[in-house]
Amino acid sequence: MPLIEFVSAIVGFVLTLMVFSYLIGDTPLFRIAVYLFIGVASGYAAAVIVNDVLLARLQSLPLGDPALLVIGLIPFLLAITLLAKLFPRVAWLGNFAMAVLVGVGAATALAGALTGTLIPQAEAAVDAVDPRSLTGLAGGGVMLIGTAGTLAYFHFGAKRAADGTVKRNAAVEALAWVGRLFIAVTLGVVFAGVYTAALTALIERLNSLMLFIKSILGL
Amino acid sequence: MMRVLTAALAIASGIIVLLGYFLRQAFPLFEQLRLLLTDWAVVIAAAAVLVGILNLVSVQMEKLRNRQPGGLYGALLVFALVITFGLGLVFGTDHPFLRAAMDAVIVPVEASLLAILAVTLVYASIRLLRRRADLMSVIFLLAMLLFLIAAMPKPFGPIPLVDQLILDLTGILSTAGARGLLIGVALGTLLTGLRVLFGMDRPYGGN
Repeated sequence: MPLIEFVSAIVGFVLTLMVFSYLIGDTPLFRIAVYLFIGVASGYAAAVIVNDVLLARLQSLPLGDPALLVIGLIPFLLAITLLAKLFPRVAWLGNFAMAVLVGVGAATALAGALTGTLIPQAEAAVDAVDPRSLTGLAGGGVMLIGTAGTLAYFHFGAKRAADGTVKRNAAVEALAWVGRLFIAVTLGVVFAGVYTAALTALIERLNSLMLFIKSILGL
Repeated sequence: MMRVLTAALAIASGIIVLLGYFLRQAFPLFEQLRLLLTDWAVVIAAAAVLVGILNLVSVQMEKLRNRQPGGLYGALLVFALVITFGLGLVFGTDHPFLRAAMDAVIVPVEASLLAILAVTLVYASIRLLRRRADLMSVIFLLAMLLFLIAAMPKPFGPIPLVDQLILDLTGILSTAGARGLLIGVALGTLLTGLRVLFGMDRPYGGN
């Protein structure tokens, strides 16, 4: 095994044990491992951003065309103004860059939500109902009721009743109750999925610990 | 004046991007402007992440200077960050040193954190039944257990019909619920985006 791989295997082994020490409590060993992780991950992210995003785009600027060069430099000027956010007195300078970022982000999210989620999911909810067969009708109908119920659960529009209490419409209330059942099952299945992933990671980590010990002992 | 300028900038850039999405066939210019603005946003977002990391460093250094509890952990964080960033800047992110940092620190710690989640999730499930033993909690845990029984490999192999029945049933119910949640999230995103584009919400500091 090359030296660099051997060292990284030892460090990985020790860090795994340090993270596992959390099972007996929030120990200093766990904290050291987590702070080290955040430091390395942040440093790596910063290096990727500088090398692969900022420097790469700066190098691709068209130096021979002044008009395109100015357009290409605008985002970098805005990016520099963002540094002002670190200093409260001049933090307002970064608002222009944030405005562009928020405006573009909001429009992209809006278009993405509409074309990527809302329309396809609404179509899929309707398409699931197949009136040509009983199973298609029943399965699709249950799914349609579940989808409508889940949405109704998050509908908080209410009216004031004659006795002064604020109540939701009875039909919406009933649909919302059905929706709660579907939400409970959905979250249960999602929980099971996360648990399966966590269990897989646990098995992989225990296996890697055993393999490392075996390789050290020459077994 | 500043408020108006920043709001106008956000609204204008948002509307141009939206026009680029929906009128790309009729007006190709809007599509080009959308791509240009998205490219600008990528550079600004990258700088925003760097500002966030700089803020992380300054907060940890402040903790160390004021001798607050956990200051030494912060020093370790800053040290690891500076070394990794420096190596990445000098040698590039594909260098074996950076790969070793991934293999030695990032991958094992991420996998181990996910692994201890297996234990904490079981603990959380038990606590849920102790604290809130109502119908929804029971349905939640029952769905989880049934799905795990049906989906996980068993020493005696799959149970004929039963496994498939459970997977089909939980599949129909959870797809319906997930679809409702997804549509709800999309509606929320839509409204939030519209509020920003109408200038009702100004998270860029224009209030």
